[in-house]
Amino acid sequence: MDSDRRKILRFIGKGSVLAAFLGQIGAAGRAFYPNVLYEPPSRFKLKRPNDYPDGYTFVEAHRLFVIRQKEAFHVISAICTHLGCTVQWKDTEFDCPCHGSRFLPDGTVISGPAPRPLDWFATTVSPDGFLEVDSASDVARDFRLLVGKGKA
Amino acid sequence: MGDKIKALWRKTLWAWSPESERESSESIVKNFWLHWFPAKVARASMDWNYSFWLGTASASLLMILTVTGVMLMFYYVPSTERAYGSIKDLEYAVSFGRLLRNQHRWAAEGMVAVVYIHMARVFFTGAYRGTRAINWVVGVILFLATLLLSFTGYLLPWDQLAFWAITVGTSIAKQAPVVGPTIQFILLGGHEIGQQTLLRFYVLHVFFLPVFVLVLFAYHMWRVRKDGGLAAIEGVRHERAMAPKATPKTKSYSLFGITPGTSVQVMSSTGLEESDQVFSSPNMSRRIALVFLVVFNITLLAALLFNAPLEGLANPSVTPNPAKAPWYFVWLQELVASTTVRMGGFTVSGALLGGILLPGFLLAVLSLWPFIDRSSLRTEGRWLAPERRRQNVTFALATLAIIVLIVVGVYLRGPYWRIYWPGQPRPEMPRLY
Amino acid sequence: MAEIGNKNESFEAKDFGWLVAMSVLFFVLVVVGFWFEFSTDWGAYQREFPQLLSHYGKVEDARDFREGIKQIWIPKIGVTDRCITCHLGYEWSSVLPATIAEPLKPHPMNDWLAKHEFERFGCTPCHGGDGSATTLAGSHQGGKGWEDPMLSRALAERNGLTMNEMMQMRCNFCHRHDAATPGMEEINLAKHLIIKKKCLICHAVEGRGGNTGPELTYEGDKNPELLSFAHVNGERTMFNWNVQHLTQASVVSPNTQMPDFNMKPEESRALTLLLLSWRRLPYPPEYIPDPEVAAAAMQPSPASSATPAPAATPIAR
Repeated sequence: MDSDRRKILRFIGKGSVLAAFLGQIGAAGRAFYPNVLYEPPSRFKLKRPNDYPDGYTFVEAHRLFVIRQKEAFHVISAICTHLGCTVQWKDTEFDCPCHGSRFLPDGTVISGPAPRPLDWFATTVSPDGFLEVDSASDVARDFRLLVGKGKA
Repeated sequence: MGDKIKALWRKTLWAWSPESERESSESIVKNFWLHWFPAKVARASMDWNYSFWLGTASASLLMILTVTGVMLMFYYVPSTERAYGSIKDLEYAVSFGRLLRNQHRWAAEGMVAVVYIHMARVFFTGAYRGTRAINWVVGVILFLATLLLSFTGYLLPWDQLAFWAITVGTSIAKQAPVVGPTIQFILLGGHEIGQQTLLRFYVLHVFFLPVFVLVLFAYHMWRVRKDGGLAAIEGVRHERAMAPKATPKTKSYSLFGITPGTSVQVMSSTGLEESDQVFSSPNMSRRIALVFLVVFNITLLAALLFNAPLEGLANPSVTPNPAKAPWYFVWLQELVASTTVRMGGFTVSGALLGGILLPGFLLAVLSLWPFIDRSSLRTEGRWLAPERRRQNVTFALATLAIIVLIVVGVYLRGPYWRIYWPGQPRPEMPRLY
Repeated sequence: MAEIGNKNESFEAKDFGWLVAMSVLFFVLVVVGFWFEFSTDWGAYQREFPQLLSHYGKVEDARDFREGIKQIWIPKIGVTDRCITCHLGYEWSSVLPATIAEPLKPHPMNDWLAKHEFERFGCTPCHGGDGSATTLAGSHQGGKGWEDPMLSRALAERNGLTMNEMMQMRCNFCHRHDAATPGMEEINLAKHLIIKKKCLICHAVEGRGGNTGPELTYEGDKNPELLSFAHVNGERTMFNWNVQHLTQASVVSPNTQMPDFNMKPEESRALTLLLLSWRRLPYPPEYIPDPEVAAAAMQPSPASSATPAPAATPIAR
């Protein structure tokens, strides 16, 4: 009764359903992976350099600090490297409210669970004169953006 | 190694392809997914030409709609500001999003049609008599719930079609005597269509109505079993009862030795014989799989070939011309457009007559039909029994009238709801530039 | 129906062939589904683009290029523009020559582009069309009931204008309150005509003016169906209606009180552009230019153009 031809057909049928079903699962999985993001871009503009006073200025919207030392600028992330809470500037150090990590003014860890120092973001002055930050690219600790008086 | 895998495969999945009668009957008892089927099913019930397996097709559509619907929920945002954009995202930016939405849409429209044809089949076979009357009423409620599911789903894209369908739909509800305005107020969550309305219809569409349908569907299935299966078996059962088999000869041991004679025989509860039945597993489970595959393939093919409609963003200040309801409601739109009655100074609104009283009357007659019908019980489970000609013609004419109204509404109605015959040029609607 | 099951009939024999056929069809349809999904309108352009970049020396950028849907998202003005999924060269005018064919052609470096950055404006505020679409037809024409088609060259020509002139209508979405704006000759002419023909004697705009004629504050949002086209020649568009109505109102609307201005065609077209630009729009204050800036920019060349812009008399609209 179960001839060879029937066996082959049964194999083809079951194989097709299995393959098609896996295809459907794959398609569903692919659908979960978003193709477009509704997020701010990682590269964004802040105010003009001269709008920032000397010292540490917290920029709430982008969770970072703009640090000005006369004409030298650098930008440190306010995102704790432990679990992502926002650290606060306490005159001489950064303190994290979540799990007590403490950082030096340059972002180096003093104590607490944070595994890495705070990130430093690449910063430039855009052609139209605004501070431009690229939060996707890290820079070394000696990075300084020098803004001449005439430029800013 | 290969043998071991084969053995494990067999150990897990034997219930789906039993190889002996013993496995067939045990699979029903031991497999959770099969346990709600009877161990055996009448050959008459399996017949393609009796039921066309429309109930199974409806259930398949419900399953497809549930799965695709849950997938759509991951991207849809029920907010008046973002709903339309999220549909555009599904159309253009989500992988397989357009296919998903298309399949959901066509399966939904297919379900309205299939559930109705299923109901027509039950009517034409007179399969709603006796204890089955309850299941008929349950079925009518399920049909109504299917329509409501379609209607609530219609609003969600927040396009022109959605907005004006809801405007017309809830205005009809408002015409109901006494409670109308309250019903409309509750449905809209206010006096005008807005964020509250969208959220209400969303929750109805994705939670209340589906849960209601699933629970009622389970009850519908359970009742089919309690009623002994499809009405198709009634004819067989009757035939068996008419021609009782000679009770088998027995021997009794009396004081005086062996006495030939007959004894009491236990008939099966269904009144069917061994030869009238087959094992549900794998015969019925295989056929259910086949029906599901056919239905899935048809909806997938439709989804590949045709895009689900999407009009411009909802605009409360511009009514599309003509503003047409979905096809399964177009006959109602035809009715409300033409049943306003004026007698002297007295006016009955078409919305009340054609939108509430007439459909309400049809629904009431439909629900109560098994209790009105006085035809012979002998016609049960027989297609177009001559004794039921009057009933069948009535149902067919009502269906035909609805189909005619749908065809008129869908194909002949043009701008300002005027009739345009095929070939007759329709006025070109003005554009911006 | 009455015949009772043939004992020997086997349901397996009946269903087997169908089951195999439907299984294979299921597989085929899923394959077709995948094929549809991956044969996009934009795929070929995205494969071509990095080659183009490296051909013009941008090897690194070509290497960093990632295929996929690209979009400019500006929630403030409700813009989600995926035009750049195909129009990939848009911001590369310094590298790519303007002779490259669409859609990879770079956006021309116009004078106004410096002040209307892509990341602040996107594409559709100026060009129209459906920014969310990623298909050729969907993005350029939009779907059924879509009233905002892309302002293409062909569309502009149908209305007797160039694309640049047609697009000035959309410039005026934000520049509505400029008395005159550099580069917007059509709209400047129209704003001049509004004063010259004393439209506000009969019509109210933004709360100022008479009430003999209908209010025109949001004229661009009006439903074209509400206009009578019985006496309009040519296309049944709101644009055409306005052009002919401004030329000879008594012909288009026989019962109107509006006088026949007998404007030149270019004048009535310019005025129509202005009227259609008056819409309800989502632009926040930072997008609305200071009228005085435009006035100052117009000062140096008051005599050079045919539109003497009276910068000192701002007409608020």
